[in-house]
Amino acid sequence: MATDTKTKTTALVDAEQLLRVPSAAPLVPFPVDVQVPDAARQTPAVGQRATRPDCRLHGLGQTKYIDDMYLPGMLFAKIKRAGVASARIISVDTSEAEMTPGVMAVVTGKDIPCNSFGPSLKDQPVLADERVFYAGDGVAAVAAVTEQIAADAIEKIKVEYEELTPVLDPLESLKLETPGVHAPSANIYGHKIIKKGDIEKGFAASDHIFEASFRTQMVEHVPLEPHSSLAQWDANGRLTVHSTLGRITLGRADIARTLGIPMSRIRVVATVVGGNFGGKNEITTEPVIALLSKKTGRPVKCTFTRPEEFYASTTRHPLIMDYKTGVTKDGKILARKIRLVLDGGAYCSWSETTLGKACILSAGPYQIDNLVAEAFVVYTNKTMTGAMRGFGAPQVCFAYESHMDDMAKALNIDPLEFRLKNVLSEGSLSPTSQTLHSVVVRESLLQAAQRFGWKPKTAPEAEGAFA
Amino acid sequence: MVTVSMNVNGEKRTASVAPETTLLKLLRESFNLTGAKLGCDVGDCGACTVIVDGKLVNSCLMLAPQAEGREVLTIEGLATQDRLHPIQKVFEDKGSLQCGFCGPGVIMSAKALLDQNPNPSVQEIRDGLAGNLCRCTGYSKMIEAIQTIARERTA
Repeated sequence: MATDTKTKTTALVDAEQLLRVPSAAPLVPFPVDVQVPDAARQTPAVGQRATRPDCRLHGLGQTKYIDDMYLPGMLFAKIKRAGVASARIISVDTSEAEMTPGVMAVVTGKDIPCNSFGPSLKDQPVLADERVFYAGDGVAAVAAVTEQIAADAIEKIKVEYEELTPVLDPLESLKLETPGVHAPSANIYGHKIIKKGDIEKGFAASDHIFEASFRTQMVEHVPLEPHSSLAQWDANGRLTVHSTLGRITLGRADIARTLGIPMSRIRVVATVVGGNFGGKNEITTEPVIALLSKKTGRPVKCTFTRPEEFYASTTRHPLIMDYKTGVTKDGKILARKIRLVLDGGAYCSWSETTLGKACILSAGPYQIDNLVAEAFVVYTNKTMTGAMRGFGAPQVCFAYESHMDDMAKALNIDPLEFRLKNVLSEGSLSPTSQTLHSVVVRESLLQAAQRFGWKPKTAPEAEGAFA
Repeated sequence: MVTVSMNVNGEKRTASVAPETTLLKLLRESFNLTGAKLGCDVGDCGACTVIVDGKLVNSCLMLAPQAEGREVLTIEGLATQDRLHPIQKVFEDKGSLQCGFCGPGVIMSAKALLDQNPNPSVQEIRDGLAGNLCRCTGYSKMIEAIQTIARERTA
């Protein structure tokens, strides 16, 4: 390499010619044989058994989760849920609840200083004030001296609704003529398209074209610990919120926005969380209990009931996934067209992240030179969908792998062999044309097959059933 | 309000509570024993498991007055000042708990199981933990931990 550089430099001795050349770093060879230290020698911790530092307190029952905190004079809050998927709120009558002995304060959506928040789009109200977008929307909240009194008091709140026709089917929501869930905004609130190669050419060159549609359902995280938060104000007007939040800095920004106070006045304390799985990534009732605490001058705690976990927290996006794949008769995938429709529920939450990841991963770990993947996320009047382990990856995995099995069967090729013919390898380009490194799909598949003794059920034949 | 008194972890405790108060609420709010957790409030998840007169109970389903005069053992009653209960020790060694929310309930179920059956099979352990849900671990390390104790005890 050194001589190469030299030759090139001497070839450009002409000063005038040299000046015309854009300046570039000289080709200096780096020492390439990097010494990789043995990790076990580098640190004695590697290879040692480690015990979780928090395990002892967990086992002793001494770990304090939010709901285990009881402060002197603390009140318990409950949220009145709408129970209708789409409606206009005509009136909220809280007078009877306020008269109930033991009830210390009541708030409604009108009391929230800035009634919108969200991790990306700020489309979610803290408590619904004019419109209800899904059945789990809170419309009012009560703080009382016991949980039971608070639960009884929310039953006494009378809300008058003008019920509207809800949009429940994501494919209906996708149509432009469908009324907007958040009119005048469109129902499609996120879109991504990935194109690679020439899809038409790919399909034209294929011997077989397979089409399939897959659907996944809504999934709740069901952490064993329900969402819980506790708010209190100090004498200097600073707010402290203990919460089961995974993202405390984002939570602090949302609390500041909704309450209209500077972030510097807010302290968010995250303690041990009893299971998150993506479901505790954004605020829920924190601004509400902060207001209740402000109104009463007492600490206020709100813990979700198990049913609330299901209908008033985020869930995993249900997906409708249409696949069209062109394959040669010996099992090489030439082209694939994918359309994903994500049911985003009533609010955006982490839909944009999920949309992007699902779209990028929808082609699977396969080398497909001609690809079009298009994804949409739409509003419906259902429980909002957000972050959950994998952000859309498990849904598309179910689709592309089921599709692979169906095609292998139709082509009469062993499903393992069919995958091996198409998997990504070192240096392959991803659907977004990123060069991939450390690719071991082939090795992983072969090792797995060997470990569980995979034997082809059908003899691998180039001439398939549809040939 | 009703006055209830019972023996909790070897100590006589008395409290005055509303009659609809569950044993779980009594333990957590009146006695400050927050080891038993409220997970589902309908007896499905087992996070509230305690032992009453030697039998496993979902304390969210038992009213406080029903425990009147009985022996209640909670997770706080297992360890002594200077010694972990063997189940707590082995759960720690094996890393059987992750978020830990189900832990107290699982350990109480494991204790009740081992008290009745000192050398349970894997299937018997699974049956013994059937009333306790865990969302983090997949149960395998808990089963491994209980097997380890059984082996140590019968050896």
